[in-house]
Amino acid sequence: MNNIEEKIWAYIDGSCSEEEALAINLLIEQDVNYQKIYDEIVTLNERLSSLELDEPSMAFTYNVLENIRNENAKQPLKTTINTAVIKGIAAFFLVTILALLILVVINIDWSTNTTNNYTLPKLNLLSDSVLKGCMFLDIMLGAFLADTFLRRKDTLKHI
Amino acid sequence: MQNKLSDTVLIDQTLAGNQSAYAELVKRHQRFVFTLALRFVKKREDAEEIAQDCFVKAYRSLNQFQHQSKFSTWLYTIVYTTAMSSLRKKQLDISSIDDEKNTIQIEAFSTGYEMNNVEKKSRSFYLNEAISQLLPDDAVIITLFYKGEQSIDEIATTLNIEKNSVKVKLFRARQRLKEKLEHILKHEVKELI
Repeated sequence: MNNIEEKIWAYIDGSCSEEEALAINLLIEQDVNYQKIYDEIVTLNERLSSLELDEPSMAFTYNVLENIRNENAKQPLKTTINTAVIKGIAAFFLVTILALLILVVINIDWSTNTTNNYTLPKLNLLSDSVLKGCMFLDIMLGAFLADTFLRRKDTLKHI
Repeated sequence: MQNKLSDTVLIDQTLAGNQSAYAELVKRHQRFVFTLALRFVKKREDAEEIAQDCFVKAYRSLNQFQHQSKFSTWLYTIVYTTAMSSLRKKQLDISSIDDEKNTIQIEAFSTGYEMNNVEKKSRSFYLNEAISQLLPDDAVIITLFYKGEQSIDEIATTLNIEKNSVKVKLFRARQRLKEKLEHILKHEVKELI
């Protein structure tokens, strides 16, 4: 350390070694010049510590959140519509259709099939209207859940 | 009475989509961020714009915050880089002790000071005046140390410099501040320090 002030600042900040601190402490007690500079620095240090922070305008927080909202709104449609959402919904429909086809094939009564008099295979499931209703409800629920899940993942990724 | 949530909890809530948690974080840190921005630009409007920009940037990058340092340290790094690039972009006039213009201002200020009552002006006023006349780097390091509750290590992280450089810069900044105060207050400086 070069000069008295630098030593005293380090002593006040506690950034000097224990030995240095002891030596500076002794100098402050014994040397009038050191004592004078020490008092000045301590006062300035106290004044700086008691400085008040500046206050921004009342609408500051509101403006920040508004900027965030505007920035999200400004994004082009291409970036707001995530292709993963579209792909997810498409995959859901494909899986549903595939599962239905498998179910249909499994449930076909092949014994009614004759070579001379062909009749369509019979499905041994619920009544037609109930089945359609259930299927429609399932598909809607599935699509809704897939959309919610994928959108949540997308939001977290973009924050 | 509701307990004050920590910054970490508020960050987690923000990441879960709760915008009011982020509003709380902004309220908590806005005064310091604004003060820090004021160390770079003289106009309050410009400082407010920079401070708002910093909070928007912090929101966008919140998922990249690793919790390895305090949120405030991470945020002040954003403030420092944003304010510095804003200064470069706008080429704002940064006053220094040697500027002719500034000397005139100081002289005018001193004359006004001698004519008016010392008691009318608070100590904080003169300290803030002296800090505002420092170079941004000096003003920032003093503000971070005294008002940002930042240790030497944290300041080194914020400014991306070595710990020893922070010590040297801080010492020099305080020396320059003292000189500024002596320049502004002349003989009355002894009443302040």
